[in-house]
Amino acid sequence: MSASQSSGNSIADDDAAILVVDDLRSSRLLIGAVLNSAGFANLHFASDGVEAVALLETTPIDMVVLDIVMPQMDGFEVCRQARERLSLDIPILIQTGLQDADQRATAFDAGASDIVSKPLHPHELVSRVRLHLERRRMIDSLQTYQRRMEDELQAAESMQISLLKSDDQVAAIAEPRGAGLTTFYQASNQLGGDLWQVFEIDETRFGLFIVDLSGHGVAAAINAFRVHMLAEAMDRNREHPGKWLAFLNDHLCQILPVEHFATAFYGVVDIASGRISYAAAGAPTPIILEAAGGWSTLDGGGLILGCREGIAYDTYSADLVVGDHVLLYSDALYENFETPGESLEPQDMAVLAREVLDAAAGAEFHRALVNRVFADETAQRRDDLTLVLLEVKGHV
Amino acid sequence: MDYRCEVVGDRFIVSISGVLTFDDHERFRQVIGEIAECAPAMVELSLASTKMVDSAGIGMLLLANDKAVRGGKTLRLSGVTGHVAKVIELSKIDQLIPVD
Repeated sequence: MSASQSSGNSIADDDAAILVVDDLRSSRLLIGAVLNSAGFANLHFASDGVEAVALLETTPIDMVVLDIVMPQMDGFEVCRQARERLSLDIPILIQTGLQDADQRATAFDAGASDIVSKPLHPHELVSRVRLHLERRRMIDSLQTYQRRMEDELQAAESMQISLLKSDDQVAAIAEPRGAGLTTFYQASNQLGGDLWQVFEIDETRFGLFIVDLSGHGVAAAINAFRVHMLAEAMDRNREHPGKWLAFLNDHLCQILPVEHFATAFYGVVDIASGRISYAAAGAPTPIILEAAGGWSTLDGGGLILGCREGIAYDTYSADLVVGDHVLLYSDALYENFETPGESLEPQDMAVLAREVLDAAAGAEFHRALVNRVFADETAQRRDDLTLVLLEVKGHV
Repeated sequence: MDYRCEVVGDRFIVSISGVLTFDDHERFRQVIGEIAECAPAMVELSLASTKMVDSAGIGMLLLANDKAVRGGKTLRLSGVTGHVAKVIELSKIDQLIPVD
């Protein structure tokens, strides 16, 4: 059945399968004739409830016109069976001579969509049949559209996840350079714009890039794809965080509309020299969980990306010693829009991350931190959540 | 979010209350319309009653600023506190929109 066939007032043939159920042959013939003359040609008939249910079990029916008082099984029971046992959501139009309001209410309780009174008025019957079929087709078409959108978003999300390097690829870059690197990504209920990347720079250094495109949904995801392509291609100045970010900013200014921007952190990790040099643009401040037990933050940064061309980004640096951990995270970790007062501060996150780190190392850390921060870790989040944990292991 | 507009002296003040997020896109369009149509050339977006702002919300502020500037007006943010102040501090959007 296709939505485009809905006919409005036309009397063109309508192929909707309509089941007419009535124990009186004369009634069946009358209803059949009325519907037929209105252009409905695909009619089925049943002379009692049992026969109607048997037909509904085997034949695709788009709508039922149903009598109430019938031998063997009455119309109420047909309704209940159709709704409960057969899980049919097709329109069921009851035609009845019963005028009692309680009985009409019983019909609706049993699952009837609408009621027409006997004696039947042909024009009213046709109007109501058309109305309910039209409504059903609109719902079908919306459901089809929604399913297709969900499938497409699912496909887009898979594509987005496939941009991210695998655990093995990440380890192959980080481990020979004296670092442990584990990541976590959980998409929001819509597509999102989080992305992280790891770049080899030379034998001792690698680049760590985490970016969050503003907003969410399809636009943010498309922008994330663009940033991914750009960042992969920008292999000049990868060892200079400030310059690299400035270059990315200039590119983004040309492609992002006014209301879209990105926050980012780009760090060059150099375990051999015991330092991380970095530049930031509005990204959440990374936290260093120090080997000695304390914590500090990688402060400093410039304007969000994609808003104004020609901006310079400062390069900062911090010392790292063996046993330090650096936690990068997206804002979904600490922002609580349902209860703003419960949003986490950096010190809250440092304390939580430390507790979790003492109990769960490596890849286990992320899941454990998510469980610790969110009451329901399986709940759909309003924004993407990205976590990257860098462990300073020392040179091998 | 909700908003209220008033003219005080030579300024057009739009006060935003609640949280300013992705879901407020349609409603904020009205704010931008009000800014485009108001008579005063000085527009103040008061965020004193704005509890939180997400990245889409920051995008809306940038859009409002852009529309105001294109219309020959100036836009300022005022009354930023709490989470909103932190987001502005981190994003440095005070380099793009004056913040009182």
